[in-house]
Amino acid sequence: MITWANFGSQLFNGLALGALLALIASGLTIIYGTLGVLNLAHGAMFMLGGYAGYLAWQSSGSFLLGVAAGTLALGVLGIVMERLVIRYFYARPHEDQLLVTFGLAIVFVELVRWYFSSDSKTVQAPALLQGITNMGFMFYPTYRLAVVGICAVALLVLFLVLYRTRLGMIVRAGIEDSVMVDSLGINIDRVFMVVFGIGAMAAGFAGFINAPIVSLAPEIGEQILVQTFVVVVIGGVGSFPGAVLGGLIAGEIISLTSMVNPGYAYVMLFAAMTLVLMIRPRGLLGAKGRE
Amino acid sequence: MNADRIYTARRPLLVEALTALALIAVPFVLPFFDAAPNTVNRILVWGLFGIGFDILFGYTGLLSFGQSALYGTGGFVAAYLLTRAGFPHVITALVIGMVAAAVVGYLVGLVALRRTGIYFAMITIAIAEVFFFVEFNPLSEWTGGENGLPGVPTPSLDLGFAQLKFTTGWALYPFLAACYFIGIVIALRVVRSPVGAVLRAIRENPLRAAAVGHDIHGYKLTAFVIAAAYAGFAGGLLGVMQAFMPPDAFMFETSGQLVMQTAIGGRGTLFGPLVGASVWLFLQDFLQSTLNLGATWKLVLGLVFVVLVCFLRQGIIGGLRDLYGLVRGKRRAEAPVVPTVPTPRAASGTSMPAHELPNGHTGPVLLATNLTKHYGGLAANEDIDFRVDAGEVRGIIGPNGAGKTTFFKMLTCEVPPTAGKIVFKGRDITGKSVTDVCQLGLTKSYQVNQLFNRLTVRENVAIAALAALRGKFRLDLLRGLSRVEGLEERVEQTLALVNLTQRRDTPVAELAYGEKRRLEIGLALASSPSLLLLDEPLAGMSPRERVETVELLKSIGKGRTMIVIDHDIDSLFELAERVTVLQEGRVLVEGTPDEIKRNAAVQEAYLGGVNGVH
Amino acid sequence: MDRKVSFLPRRRVLSAGLGLAGGLALPAYVRQALAADDNGHPPIGTWPEGVKGKEVFIGVAVPRTGTYAEQGEDELKGWQLAVEHINSGNELIRKISPKTKKGVQGKELKLVVADSAAKPNDAVQAEQRFITENKVILMTGSTSSAVAVAMNKLAQREKVLYVTGISGSNDTTGKDCVRYGFRQNFYGETAANAIGPVLLKAYGKGKKMAFMTPDYTYGHTVTKSTSEYLKEHGGWQMVTNQVSPLGATDYSSYLTNIANSGAEVLLNVNWGRDAVLSTQQAKQFGVIPKMKLVIPYQIPFLAKNIGAELAEGVYAATDFWWTLEDKYPLAKTFVDAFRKKYGYYPEWGAENAYMSFAMWADAVENAGTFYPPDVIKSYEAGRKLQSMVGEVYFRKEDHQLVRPVVIVRGKAPKAMRNKEDFWEVTEIVPGAGLMQKPDAFGCKLGEYT
Repeated sequence: MITWANFGSQLFNGLALGALLALIASGLTIIYGTLGVLNLAHGAMFMLGGYAGYLAWQSSGSFLLGVAAGTLALGVLGIVMERLVIRYFYARPHEDQLLVTFGLAIVFVELVRWYFSSDSKTVQAPALLQGITNMGFMFYPTYRLAVVGICAVALLVLFLVLYRTRLGMIVRAGIEDSVMVDSLGINIDRVFMVVFGIGAMAAGFAGFINAPIVSLAPEIGEQILVQTFVVVVIGGVGSFPGAVLGGLIAGEIISLTSMVNPGYAYVMLFAAMTLVLMIRPRGLLGAKGRE
Repeated sequence: MNADRIYTARRPLLVEALTALALIAVPFVLPFFDAAPNTVNRILVWGLFGIGFDILFGYTGLLSFGQSALYGTGGFVAAYLLTRAGFPHVITALVIGMVAAAVVGYLVGLVALRRTGIYFAMITIAIAEVFFFVEFNPLSEWTGGENGLPGVPTPSLDLGFAQLKFTTGWALYPFLAACYFIGIVIALRVVRSPVGAVLRAIRENPLRAAAVGHDIHGYKLTAFVIAAAYAGFAGGLLGVMQAFMPPDAFMFETSGQLVMQTAIGGRGTLFGPLVGASVWLFLQDFLQSTLNLGATWKLVLGLVFVVLVCFLRQGIIGGLRDLYGLVRGKRRAEAPVVPTVPTPRAASGTSMPAHELPNGHTGPVLLATNLTKHYGGLAANEDIDFRVDAGEVRGIIGPNGAGKTTFFKMLTCEVPPTAGKIVFKGRDITGKSVTDVCQLGLTKSYQVNQLFNRLTVRENVAIAALAALRGKFRLDLLRGLSRVEGLEERVEQTLALVNLTQRRDTPVAELAYGEKRRLEIGLALASSPSLLLLDEPLAGMSPRERVETVELLKSIGKGRTMIVIDHDIDSLFELAERVTVLQEGRVLVEGTPDEIKRNAAVQEAYLGGVNGVH
Repeated sequence: MDRKVSFLPRRRVLSAGLGLAGGLALPAYVRQALAADDNGHPPIGTWPEGVKGKEVFIGVAVPRTGTYAEQGEDELKGWQLAVEHINSGNELIRKISPKTKKGVQGKELKLVVADSAAKPNDAVQAEQRFITENKVILMTGSTSSAVAVAMNKLAQREKVLYVTGISGSNDTTGKDCVRYGFRQNFYGETAANAIGPVLLKAYGKGKKMAFMTPDYTYGHTVTKSTSEYLKEHGGWQMVTNQVSPLGATDYSSYLTNIANSGAEVLLNVNWGRDAVLSTQQAKQFGVIPKMKLVIPYQIPFLAKNIGAELAEGVYAATDFWWTLEDKYPLAKTFVDAFRKKYGYYPEWGAENAYMSFAMWADAVENAGTFYPPDVIKSYEAGRKLQSMVGEVYFRKEDHQLVRPVVIVRGKAPKAMRNKEDFWEVTEIVPGAGLMQKPDAFGCKLGEYT
């Protein structure tokens, strides 16, 4: 139903959804922007981060440890993946890159299914953040509120790394023109490896942070992957601010559409993506000529 | 069926015959291996689904994750007709489903094919998801929503003297096998037709395919529609085979499975999807029931897939073929790696006439006025007036950044001018497309080789020749390549012109650099252009190669109009009758080579001021 | 190189291929016609091939992965226990199927199992394989009604009997009913008619209700039946119906809409893992306990997963709950046997599975043969059977078992006698009065042969 109260609530809810999408999408977009590889395993890596963190959280009881485990494990996985597999595909056509990351995604999901079984696993939010907050215009789960904040901080950290460090500058240059960076004598191999690692970490971090909200199952990566594409396309490939903006827009599309007709919420996302691809393929903030 | 060879094998119907034999043998042989007929039937349906997809992906290079949308569309239209609408004839319903899928494929293609590569893949993913949603929700009245459409009947054929009822298991197999066989026969013809050759060119180098005069968008759309038709028919067969049309047909996973099966079996082979489906379904049965692995079979499959993508690019069939080649040893007599010194032949201008000038047009072949190109604040070309007459060989020189390549790009219409007009043989071509301009008789050979890398020399030239002989778009899907009139002749003539006759069956990857440059020129020549542009034909050549190439260009230039850009001023001055000098985007001066040599402004432009004139 | 293409061989190959292929079809028919007759009946489906040996096979396609995996595994245990009991001639089985001695018609039962992931296509594929390879004489398995409907059609086409697993849609014995399919459990219409009066009595008239519905026909049927009953008999008003896709994980947008809708009662029709997640998130958004939660079609293990606090005071309609052992002696025997073998109290999926096999054994023994049309007629004879919930019988017009619906209410945590004592049975509503007229949902059973 369309009322002011509901509109306000959905607007806020969209923000929460969007913050998470923005974080995951920023990982995907810097990988694609720098390496030119569209990582179809990104959703699976999001899921893996959740499970890695789950293992740590279960054995230690500490949520923070879980976050650390999810992030670091995926950072390592990202680097290993890049060194062992992705590296050999830079020279190959895009289709081959899509195929191999698609295959890896399936392997990751099935590995998790084999080891953990298909049952969903619940993760409890840290005691401090459990419960409900009365925000005046609506009740909101405290943990979800916290997630908005956490995502904002994580995005800020990413921003600082990209725009205030030497590494970040190289990465941004690499996004614009990796050949040039290479010929300037900078070890582009190392840059690619680091970028993939950072992107994977963003996914892994988001994966565990999100676990208390929707619980873990091997399939959660699939849905997230497609939504992340939409964000990246809307915001502009290779653009970090684009990922943030795109994430917020996507979150709002989902929640505001559900006000009118909940069934159509996700379809609207795809419609939006197709529209952007037809009219302005570089997205809102993307660089021209990236097709 | 090898996607890298356009010209068919020496024995033309071998593949078809072997396929028929294999299909007939299956029900007698496979029961000994405990193969369930339903599994075999499923493999056939996936195989048929995959034929169309392989034409789209293996041959044209378009990776679509959205085939499930068309599979489902065809399947549900056929199933709806046969169940809810009470349509009596199964086979006709299947055909209607196929047509519906083809139409939908056409519409979807119009949207999706506007973009290429990764964006194209992403759009197809979105489309798959949307179609699934639509089947489930808004259209559930017609599609049965999550239940699908149950009760699809099996086909029967009334032959007058006998009634053939195909029911289930081995009884249904002959029908499916026949459908598959027909599907393969048609696909083989398509792939061996001129259209098939163009599709492969698009996969290798879409830019060049367009530049030699093919309407690549039209061909891509054709491939997309063909894939949709196969998908739609296969979808209908799925419903018949299961007596029920499931909504899973629309799921993204179905598309994913198709892609994986094709990659496992071997893309660009037409039979790859069938092999891939066999591997997939047998592994599924074997791992699940025999080894009792339960859901882990998919992990094994995923690993197999990743390994294949990494190491066996052409899948299992490709691997087998390589093995076969290794075992038999290379039989082909290799041409010497170092090419013999080419003897320039006399110009055969008479046998390869340039495009006829329309209405006996006299006057300049090319007239550009006020041609300007700005990139943001940068003026690459500014207010250029340029004129070339018939039969002229014009050179263009200028220091780096003078805007020579941009100028060429505007002439071929690769890049639209910011201002100005281009008139070619009396016709205003400003703002046209590269393809149209090539068809009108203006072509270019590129500074950086733009060849069709996995094809042979002869095949490369054939692609260009096909555009010249058939126009920019022709749907001659079922015509054999050998039936294109004049193709052989033209290819041989072009090869002779650029001295590559001995190397005609060599793949591009094995050519020496100089040979590649000659092929590059050959591609531009094959369409008998009225005006041939050559962008730095001597780039990267050794002194001896330069001499040879200049001789070659001289022989080509007889009776043709050419414009040549190069940095090698000495060679260019030998070749050209008149030379235009560009500097900082403008025409500095124009004249004969001697005049240019002595011109002070030119010297200054190159050397930044010089004293002492020769 | 001359490339003359000759047309003749191609056409010959084509026609030869087709001709030979057509000829291939013959052996199959000939084989069938020459197969041995039993009692003068020609072969049908997997009979008599499948019952020639000492064993007969039953094909099971059950979700072991995906949203309904937990419920699927539970069902499977029920079938396995039933097979064990039938093969050994267990006392419990003989109470339900008095003519059973050991096995069915002296043959030992064996199960073949595949994972359907609740997808109709996968289930059909697996069962088709079972029919061809194992010559299964009975098929079962479903947790999603989509699978049940697909299996119905397969059963009718292949002429192999099918008993549903869990199937809640009205359509399974409604417009999608078949001669070869039978359903044991309760469904949307009976659930709505049973729980309706209870809700009206508990909460009064004129309430505002919100629904959460999974987006497929099971969900839409149950929502429709329930909301219509409450509207008609109690003047309740549906203020919102939030439809979510099967397998959704994030219910925040739906719950936000519900929170702002002014509803007083929340009816959650979601099933399996979707039910668990949506209920947990409803709590996080403060929607419950502000609104009263109702589960019109109960889910096995729901209470265990959401916890006793969330389940307290919640009304649900179900097929069976283990505390019925206090009322029905057969229930007690079953619960004890199940607990002994598996270590936990059985949920209604397992009970449903066990009962359906027991009743099939009874039908076959009464027919004296496995010959499908005779077994079907045995079912349709309307024999009264003893079950875990009292006396039941099959309705011959639509093959739906006439059986009571059990209404339960969640217990307060401190009132629980053991850690699985989640629900209190408040009413057992006899089935006959809850069901629609046999032809009301468009059921047209097909042919016997």
